[in-house]
Amino acid sequence: MNLRRHITFGIALPAFVALAIWSCSSDDPIIDSFSPTPYVIPDAPHFPKILNIPEDNPMTVEGVDLGRYLFYDGRLSGNTSKDLLMSCATCHIQENGFEVGIDHPKYVGGITFGLPIPDFPDGKPTPHFMLSIVNTVYNSNGYFWNGMINESNNSLGNENLGVPADSQFNFKNLESLAWLTITAPHEMNSTVERSVATINAVALYKEKFKAAFGTEEVNYDRISKAIAQFVRSIVSHNSKFHKSLRQEAELNPLEQQGHDLFFSEDADCFHCHGGSILMTTNDFFNNGKDATFDPEDHDRHFVTGDALDIGAYRAPSLINVELTAPYMHDGRFKSLDEVIDFYSEGLVYSDYVHPLMKNVRQKGVQLTENEKSALKAFLLTLTDNELIQDPQFSCPPELKEWSG
Amino acid sequence: MEHFKYFLIICTGFLLSCNSDDEPKKDSTSGKIIFNFEHFADGKVLDLDNLKYTNAAGNDYEVTEVQWFISDLTLHKSDGSKMQLGGEDFSHYIDTNIPSTYQWELPDEIPAGDYASISMVFGIKGEKNIPFYYTDSPESNMAWPINLGGDNGGYHYMKLNGFWMNANSERQPFNFHLGVGQERDADNKIIGFIQNWFEVELPASAFSIMANEHKSINIRMNVEKWWDQPNEYDFDYYGPMTMQNQEAMAAGVENGQHVFTIGSVVTVPSE
Repeated sequence: MNLRRHITFGIALPAFVALAIWSCSSDDPIIDSFSPTPYVIPDAPHFPKILNIPEDNPMTVEGVDLGRYLFYDGRLSGNTSKDLLMSCATCHIQENGFEVGIDHPKYVGGITFGLPIPDFPDGKPTPHFMLSIVNTVYNSNGYFWNGMINESNNSLGNENLGVPADSQFNFKNLESLAWLTITAPHEMNSTVERSVATINAVALYKEKFKAAFGTEEVNYDRISKAIAQFVRSIVSHNSKFHKSLRQEAELNPLEQQGHDLFFSEDADCFHCHGGSILMTTNDFFNNGKDATFDPEDHDRHFVTGDALDIGAYRAPSLINVELTAPYMHDGRFKSLDEVIDFYSEGLVYSDYVHPLMKNVRQKGVQLTENEKSALKAFLLTLTDNELIQDPQFSCPPELKEWSG
Repeated sequence: MEHFKYFLIICTGFLLSCNSDDEPKKDSTSGKIIFNFEHFADGKVLDLDNLKYTNAAGNDYEVTEVQWFISDLTLHKSDGSKMQLGGEDFSHYIDTNIPSTYQWELPDEIPAGDYASISMVFGIKGEKNIPFYYTDSPESNMAWPINLGGDNGGYHYMKLNGFWMNANSERQPFNFHLGVGQERDADNKIIGFIQNWFEVELPASAFSIMANEHKSINIRMNVEKWWDQPNEYDFDYYGPMTMQNQEAMAAGVENGQHVFTIGSVVTVPSE
């Protein structure tokens, strides 16, 4: 395996080539003096070199900046009334590791819902629980709990939502999440046209679109690309655990005990969550939560059609896991203690359980109370306090009143 | 913008001309080899996710996935000389979930002639098995914890996952994972590590290659042999997991000498 190949393809070459080709688009009359600054994902020891950055959306400083504004702007929902705003940040809250968290005053228990619609005056419940958007730039194995958003998905648009089967309304990468979020009745419940028009009417964006894309013209393609760029910029390298690997911090004895449990067959978390430094394999597993399954579930089987994927969902990254309750795809566990108890003595056998759940016949790994405490102490070292306070990922002051 | 276009054209021309200069000169006395990997059980292509096999110990079992590293492929001549292939690309990851990993095209120019045998390392030798060497998936997902393998135990050699019918006639998951083992004291504390990688000389692997010829060589893993001889591997005795059970891994290592064979050696027609 040639590591240098990874480095080359991961960062330098695509960034240069894509930016060069993109800059050279001769059909666009507006970009004579257009020269955005390439944005470089900060390198960190042991983190992946392969970055999921599409060739047609190279990251630039200006694009990330624009994306940050759009991410925090509730007018993306197509509304200007302050009690009807919804932005990405309405649910993806920085201090909660970019998830909604379990203590939200409106989304009680981490249960989110969309803006009011006639059939759901209190908002239509979102049919899934949240997943982290941290370190998504390192993930090339699809997005959502079931990996539905992936490069092999050739679906386009959504007739029911009035979104045409146009190539820009695809299901392939982070860019796809913008139109899905804008139009979903359980989220912003807008239309692409309405949202574009609303953003177009906000004066501050003219300069930002010009800086990012060489033109003041707001369109959906540019909105989705900018938001995707900002989301890709949200990387976490600085939890206590990660610092300990760099000898910048030291785990205390209880945390170290938990670490050794996590990375052993005694607690056996690492096969799904810790193979790499991302604290996830980004693969999909039936982890023994249930004995029976609803055929209508949007599990991995919904994507692959493979019966072996029934009841399987993504193993989420555990970075910031302290902040991201409730847990599992259906939010059934409200605390880390409940999760640890589940893996210790709550597993349920089904014909679809993944073989990595090898203790399923004993209902779990059977941890002692001391071991549970140690494991929890280690999980708490995965919180990246720098990330959740970093101003570069926070709401721009101009948008405080508009973020929704 | 116009200036940039001209700059790009010049750069492209320069890069193209560099490319042709840098291209290694074709050696008219050498050929190429592509290695392919296949997984068999009981003499036939492994049928994944099908509880239809029985091992030597009488356990009925199924295999759901096999993920493993091969490294240090070496060609041996009858005069005792040898040629290790791959250079920096010394290892290759194979995954039954990722068919694209079934082929390993090596850059080496193979001098025309007769070769007496092919050898391989199952897993990765300790000095090359460094934690965090692989930063990207899928290889990075093979990481073997440092607390279980030390500084020279970076990655699983293999994850072979499946189910067997246990003594209670229950379908029970197993993880037959091989990697660096642990030496433990009476209190079960780790006091050292045991390198479990092994070298295999593939039986009946003699072949010849002519100048400008391309050979396609299939290396076959015969899965049932992991549990066959010299150790009848009984899942009910060894249990569902191996990583912290050196006795189980040692049995697998001994059996591993019989696991790999040459499936075929085929000359690939020139285009």
